Amino acid sequence: MKQVNITDEERAKALSPTKKPEVMEKQKLNVRYHVENYNTADRPRRFLEAFAVILKYSNYRFALEHFIRMSAKCARCTVQCPISQVSGDMRDIPCYRSELLLSVYRRHFTIGGLWKGRLLGKDYLTDEKIEEMADAFWNCTACKRCTIECPSGIDHGLIAHLGRYILSEIGIAPRALVVSVREQLEGKTGNTSAIPVPALIDTLEFLEEDMKEAKGIDIKFPLDVEGCDFVFFPAVSDFLMEAETLMGIAAVFTATGGSWTTGTGYFDGINYGLFYSDRMLERIVKKVHAEAVRLKGKSILIGECGHASRSAKYFVPTYCGGESALPVYNIMEYTYRVFKEGRLKLDPNVVTEPVAYHDPCNIARQGWIIDQPREILKAFCKNYVEMEPKGADNICCGGGGGTVSIDEVRPYRTSIAGKVKAEQIRSTGCKYLVAPCANCKKQLRELVEDQKVDCEVVGLHDLIYKAIIFDNTANNKQSAK
Amino acid sequence: MPIFEQGDVKIDVDEDGFMEEPEQWNEKVAMALATTEGVNELTERHWKLVNYLRDYYAKFGIAPMIRKLCKETGFSLKEVYEMFPSGPAKGACKVAGLAKPTGCV
Repeated sequence: MKQVNITDEERAKALSPTKKPEVMEKQKLNVRYHVENYNTADRPRRFLEAFAVILKYSNYRFALEHFIRMSAKCARCTVQCPISQVSGDMRDIPCYRSELLLSVYRRHFTIGGLWKGRLLGKDYLTDEKIEEMADAFWNCTACKRCTIECPSGIDHGLIAHLGRYILSEIGIAPRALVVSVREQLEGKTGNTSAIPVPALIDTLEFLEEDMKEAKGIDIKFPLDVEGCDFVFFPAVSDFLMEAETLMGIAAVFTATGGSWTTGTGYFDGINYGLFYSDRMLERIVKKVHAEAVRLKGKSILIGECGHASRSAKYFVPTYCGGESALPVYNIMEYTYRVFKEGRLKLDPNVVTEPVAYHDPCNIARQGWIIDQPREILKAFCKNYVEMEPKGADNICCGGGGGTVSIDEVRPYRTSIAGKVKAEQIRSTGCKYLVAPCANCKKQLRELVEDQKVDCEVVGLHDLIYKAIIFDNTANNKQSAK
Repeated sequence: MPIFEQGDVKIDVDEDGFMEEPEQWNEKVAMALATTEGVNELTERHWKLVNYLRDYYAKFGIAPMIRKLCKETGFSLKEVYEMFPSGPAKGACKVAGLAKPTGCV
């Protein structure tokens, strides 16, 4: 990773609070993100109670017992963390941040810690410590790059995730995420962007007309078709923001004769529960699975979105019946398969500008989707350029872990969290930056604007849509599975 | 809840300055909200965009897809950004009195 520095001025601007002092005082919370009004009384006791309940009804204790024994102080993760590299702040070192929560666990939930604490009468959890955690865990973008180098196998991303979960149980969580999840689980529209079904239908009809004009053939978005191979769940914001991505996906299915549908009962892949609450994570994942079951679909297909893919891939089996749960795929897996089978024809003369690929952390860090999109891009983009580091070692866009949805932290995201990424993009000289993830796309567009990098951020299927060839004679009759 | 006050316009807004009660919207409110978005004058082009957003919102309860907004008003995305520097979702929707968009928008 290239060394990137920022000036003190930039740092001060990125970290300056946007909230009024009286709000900070009222909420007893010195953080940049907005929180909804919550009960500020007795926070340490309520934090410990929430922690105790979570430990009782989860498997976190096994992980924590390992982590507290393996120290968390060597700081080798520092060189991997794009945030601590730029901010230069000791508090941004992943194992320093983890220790905030591990020390609470050690003191209040282990026999040794309880005895020692009582004997010496110290190390109680205080309001100041809670405030420090509330700030620290949301400065992390949960990219998990720190886990690559940790010699002790400590998962700092998991610790930040648990810290956020406990904090959310006492009412401390970014309002932007909480409001979206409330609409998704309890609101009238049932999705994070509050899109009513008539608006969805209108949007899809608009896109179908648009594709008819552009490509001259009928490309459909099948709605509520039972028994399809794939039930499709994009990040729901794609229906507002990402016309080309959706059209590209519809075009691939049409060109390859795939069987897919979108359900009007539920059509949102987004799962902010992954970022702050396992309880919400479970409820959202169950909604996705239930809709696929309602439509008698054979599998769940997530659109171009990293966290949506990871939350479904890894938690549908956890919460929806283990091995009997429906399998989960990312759209790029489908596109890659039809591409390898020779059923996807792409014109190599359409995209001639330099193209680079950004790995979304949630699908690349564990090695799930790295080479597939690259292979497709190299096949039809004449001028493909690679970023370093890449793949499982990739650098976060700077808006991971839900922070991209928190508009009030944009200066932090684009000046500190995404700074290394901005320089990485600039050095490729790419015209198109392919980022197959709704979170990454939003963040990268704000990043290239604020950091003045000249490139256009697109999805993989945006480029495929430009280059796709519809060939009626192709062997596309067979159903895709 | 914050209150936004300018001239004889006084409305409830959220922390980001979006209207809490879109029914209170009128042209004066739009002009006042525009100043918070760095837009000092609402030209005919601005109104075309704002009115389209309002009509769509009245019909569907949500802002239209950005591509649809551009196509039906005839403005390119670049032109929308020139009119409303913080973009269609944040700037134009705010002036049109729509609620703040949620999710990855």
